[in-house]
Amino acid sequence: MDIKTSPTPAANTTNGNSTPILEARGIKKSFGPKQVLKGVNLAVAKAEVLTILGPNGCGKSTFLRCLNLLEQYQDGQVLLNGSVVSEGRPEEFQPDGAHKEKAQQLRTHVGMVFQRFNLFPHMTVIQNVMAGPRHVLGKPNEECQAIAEKTLKKVGLWEKHPCDPLTLSGGQQQRVAIARALAMNPEVMLFDEATSALDPVLTKEVFKVVRELAAEGMTMILVTHDMDFARDIADRVVFMEGGVVAAQGSAEYIFDEQPIPGIRQFLEKG
Amino acid sequence: MWNYLVNEVQIWSLIRAARWPLYLTALSMPLAVFFGLFLALMRMSRARLLSWPASAYIEVMRGTPLYVQLFLVYYTLPQIGNLLHTTALTLDPFPAAVICLAGNYAAYEAEIHRAGLMAVDKGQREAALSIGMSEKQAFFIVTLPQAFRIILPPVINDAIAMLKDSCLASAIGVMELLKVAEGIGKNNSEVGLANMYIAAGLLYMVLSLAFYALGKYIESKLKAAGAPELHLETVHGH
Repeated sequence: MDIKTSPTPAANTTNGNSTPILEARGIKKSFGPKQVLKGVNLAVAKAEVLTILGPNGCGKSTFLRCLNLLEQYQDGQVLLNGSVVSEGRPEEFQPDGAHKEKAQQLRTHVGMVFQRFNLFPHMTVIQNVMAGPRHVLGKPNEECQAIAEKTLKKVGLWEKHPCDPLTLSGGQQQRVAIARALAMNPEVMLFDEATSALDPVLTKEVFKVVRELAAEGMTMILVTHDMDFARDIADRVVFMEGGVVAAQGSAEYIFDEQPIPGIRQFLEKG
Repeated sequence: MWNYLVNEVQIWSLIRAARWPLYLTALSMPLAVFFGLFLALMRMSRARLLSWPASAYIEVMRGTPLYVQLFLVYYTLPQIGNLLHTTALTLDPFPAAVICLAGNYAAYEAEIHRAGLMAVDKGQREAALSIGMSEKQAFFIVTLPQAFRIILPPVINDAIAMLKDSCLASAIGVMELLKVAEGIGKNNSEVGLANMYIAAGLLYMVLSLAFYALGKYIESKLKAAGAPELHLETVHGH
């Protein structure tokens, strides 16, 4: 399949000539007989904000999960700062110690925010945020607290630090989840439909945080169903269909020119 | 009858004997919970070499009476030991009872652990991995503590059941509450055996109610802390 790309080349791959921070090459993934990803190529440059759109079942969430190896894919490569960090493995592959360690390494650089927040309910808000620095990076307690304070202030929830996460609103929980990922000081943040479980008001407060991160130059890949937001925040919009990147380019190119019929259908439905 | 019992201080030997169900349970239940966790992990493993023996153990232990298991461990194991020219398999009544209670209940606790671990949302493990934790850290720091909150009420339920089942230890000669009650009844015709059984039954009930109250208290604490419900009717019934 030909990939329709924006006529302005700068918007296609990276901002300038630098090595992409995170790059996927030919990712193929099957669940049993069903091939969900049929060779996805995508690279994100430093400080670039990329939104992935596409109809349900097009593989966008699966692709995001392949990027930090929450899903093992069968073919292709993921590169972080130009070096290969994971490769496709057959479906029956049982990851060994070295493989798991590599995946763990990758994840310390790539933060992820989930649709259903997935905060640890048996920990307080601050313990959630401190979990990464403490258990993964092995930092001393005072330093972990300082990191947690900084990131919780960034998402505007420092005053909630002693609370039980389940007492917070969905929007607040998601902001804590963002703070938890930020506490690892990631190079890239992945958002997997981070606002799909939220009502419009709560969605707004999460988007505000994401916008601030974008303004600070955080590299982000967002899978979202919110067209206005996708259009507004993206440096580049990627449209996935049938397990491949079907079109990509600037927001104007994707939304206004609608280069392939799939986009038109998708936008009409949405 | 009650006058005689109280006046002759027999009642105190009976009440003192109530410590035995507590000892047996206090020793056997933690062992059962610990061993049960291993069984649950084995059973949940994708490696058949681990999951099959665990499943077999659980089914055999749940499918045969504790009474029979006590007899096999106390009477039959020493005979096997004789054939092998060793006394290592010959156990005193009390340790034999602890091993049987722990071994039998481990099978039930394994199923509770399994249900508890499966009741923890998969997203929890994924969130833990996504911030760079290893599988082991994700299990011990994130999944297990949450499963623990879920399994605690049913484990306390089982502790109550074990408290009562511990009377079976009398069958292999452990001098526990039932045996002591029986002894008093047999040696004092004024008291009567039936009355002593009732007295022993009441004492078991008092102990059970105390455990039950403790369980309710812990459950209310956990509920306040937001532990999810575990639907145990699908797990087992004693």
